[in-house]
Amino acid sequence: MSKDYILSLRNITKEFPGVKALDDVTINIERGTIHGLVGENGAGKSTLIKVLAGIHRPNAGEIELDGKIRHFANPIEARRAGISVVHQEIKLAEPLSVAENMFLGNVLMKNNLVDWKGMRKRAREIVADLGLDIDVNAQVSSLTVAKKQIVEIMHAINNNSQILVMDEPSAVLTNRELEVMFRIVRQLREQGITIIYISHRLDEVFDLCDNVSILRDGCHIDTLPIGDLDRESLINMMVGREMGQEYPKEPGKIGDTILSVKNLNCGMLKDISFDVKAGEVFGISGLVGAGRTELARAILGIDKIESGEVYVRGKKVKYRYFRDAIKDGLGLIPEDRKLQGLVQTMSIKRNTTLVNLARVIKGGVIRKGLENKLAEEFSDKLHVVRPTIETEVQYLSGGNQQKVVIAKWLFQESEILFLDEPTRGIDVGAKAEIYRLINEIVQSGRTIIMISSEMPELLGMCDRIMVMHEGHKMGELDAAEASQEAIMALCT
Amino acid sequence: MTTKAPTSNASKQIKAFIKNWMSLVGLIILIVVFSTLSQTIYGQQTFLTIKNWKTILLQSATLAIVALGQSIMLLTGNFDLSLGRLVCLTSCVGAGLMINSGWGLLPAILVMFAIGIIVGVVNGIMVSYIGVPAMIATLGTQYICFGVGKLITQAVPVPFDTKSALYKSFSWIGRGYWLNNTLPICVVIMLVLYIGAQFICTKTKIGRNLYAVGGSREAAFFSGINVKRIHLGTFILGGILATFGGFVLMARLGSVAVTNGQNYEFDAVISSIIGGVSLAGGKGYVLGTMFGCIFLTTLFNGFSMVGIDPFVQDVLKGIVLVLAVVLDILSNRKKS
Repeated sequence: MSKDYILSLRNITKEFPGVKALDDVTINIERGTIHGLVGENGAGKSTLIKVLAGIHRPNAGEIELDGKIRHFANPIEARRAGISVVHQEIKLAEPLSVAENMFLGNVLMKNNLVDWKGMRKRAREIVADLGLDIDVNAQVSSLTVAKKQIVEIMHAINNNSQILVMDEPSAVLTNRELEVMFRIVRQLREQGITIIYISHRLDEVFDLCDNVSILRDGCHIDTLPIGDLDRESLINMMVGREMGQEYPKEPGKIGDTILSVKNLNCGMLKDISFDVKAGEVFGISGLVGAGRTELARAILGIDKIESGEVYVRGKKVKYRYFRDAIKDGLGLIPEDRKLQGLVQTMSIKRNTTLVNLARVIKGGVIRKGLENKLAEEFSDKLHVVRPTIETEVQYLSGGNQQKVVIAKWLFQESEILFLDEPTRGIDVGAKAEIYRLINEIVQSGRTIIMISSEMPELLGMCDRIMVMHEGHKMGELDAAEASQEAIMALCT
Repeated sequence: MTTKAPTSNASKQIKAFIKNWMSLVGLIILIVVFSTLSQTIYGQQTFLTIKNWKTILLQSATLAIVALGQSIMLLTGNFDLSLGRLVCLTSCVGAGLMINSGWGLLPAILVMFAIGIIVGVVNGIMVSYIGVPAMIATLGTQYICFGVGKLITQAVPVPFDTKSALYKSFSWIGRGYWLNNTLPICVVIMLVLYIGAQFICTKTKIGRNLYAVGGSREAAFFSGINVKRIHLGTFILGGILATFGGFVLMARLGSVAVTNGQNYEFDAVISSIIGGVSLAGGKGYVLGTMFGCIFLTTLFNGFSMVGIDPFVQDVLKGIVLVLAVVLDILSNRKKS
């Protein structure tokens, strides 16, 4: 073997009560490469990373780092050994400055006192090295999500890291921010750092990675140079079956104009007008911060409209509260499904019936039998993988949680559904199911308005796409004729 | 990806029952322990007697009525520190009006409840519409209630003439019995209130919305629930129940002092937690709180019986509270 492996995970097995999360996984990672780690939700990616970072201890197997067998008892030991992890959720001390955050847990000392000057100087060096424009004295809470993510990366590498693990760092970034991050990641590779990159977005994996390891159901399927793979074969290896079409768009039952917005102004939104027909999938594209979510909120009565009109089924409406919009047949599958979409402590059943509890109430009393029956029916229809409908949603995977959110609004029988980033952080299998649901919804004559940062998804699933930029409508494209380039040209 | 190890259905159900009704199970254990202790120490049963249990239930009832409001607020993720002092304020005002100003029973009651509702509205508006943390808002009203109570009574107990027709017209609610002098009326009231509340919480839309708001205010909002109104409503209900609890306490004691209702707000929280209502909101049953109140009262009744110093009892109360929370956290941790 001529290859220079910095890290070898050998025969790693990790069992939790009742489930084998990792089953005899062996992966070798070459020094100075970007190594992709892909697999569906629950394939064992996170568990593997947690084993590597010393959070979980494996039941069997060993880790060889730089030629030495290591057993990490806790995350601190792993970090000292040069393994840094950038987690999916940003974990920074928001009230502190950029420099302070970069030295969290690793404070520079001089004469037994904190060396503020030295830390700021070193922080500025790191920022300059990466060719970035970030004020190291700025308070982290004042930064954009993308910059926070970069601070997170800088914190991780400010540790003489040999290995940097990035767990879905792109989930919240727009395309342009992504480019900056890619540039940083490649630069780190040039500096000799080995990067393990986890992502659901396969485009990124192809763009960025040198090698890819595929996990499925806790098993290592294969590790290959990216050049030996194409998109389809990678997806097939991840899901273990033929996937068919990625975007199975089917036309809806198109009817009359059902929603019409005229010259709407609200906060950052300036003079927005558009019409949507019943049975359409209407996409809203744009960068994060373009005002897409704000537009949905304004239409749905969550934020107060300053001027302009909204017509639903030809009638002028003015919703004072979101609940008025719900009564009128509108619904929202919000961006943050964990916080806004579901009550995590409630069961699948109770989340499903929450918006339209009236359907299971007779004589003022919730009918348990009826509620159980309908909840089972909707969970079956949406293929919610579950122990029972009494399971609290917090124990479900992201994809299944999203299916419960959709079930909730189908149960409400909303006619016009806003979907805000409906497939963020969801694996390919669950994504395909959500697309099929979108088809079903529009085929029954209902309407979908889909906000998404994933352009292929918009191009694949929408009838028309509206492009927004900094609160303005930049144009409208027929999805059949649109392309990523055409959208990009409008939104920058 | 959580598949649970197969356990038999029956043992699972028993486990779930014990978890949901920890306070009831605890209560049964207490009864067994103290009746055995009584038998071994005194050679006879002084604990498990009708007389002693009448006392325990009577003492539990007033606390339980106030605690019902508190536990509903805990369900929605709030709490109210003013409840105990509101008990004091409303009964001071009521007694003052009846004894010193010669008001009749009905107008005095109306004023008492008006005050209870006003304090609830003030708390509710501050917390849910203005956004003052519940801790601060209700701490403020706690002091205001206590201060006004002291001003009215000058911190001197106000006794009713227990032989007067006025007192007799309402004393039954605190010290009356049904069924041949065995069943305290206020205990029946407590039961009715709790069973009603339990029904509303588990079987109606309002109840389901309470749990949703307690589980996640944001998710509840995005499901079209009027979160602010629910919070306001629970504060008003808390005020009403505190007033009613104060009225029953006044009727039972036959006198009003500024110490009436002292620490009720905290005892109510302790009882709720023992009763399985989660501090984080969104979990538990209000009926558990009733057993929690009886548990707490029984515990101290038993402690007194076996001769534990009252000062030591406070220490034990603290231990019981912390223990209940620790048990709750540990049992939740095992599950996930």
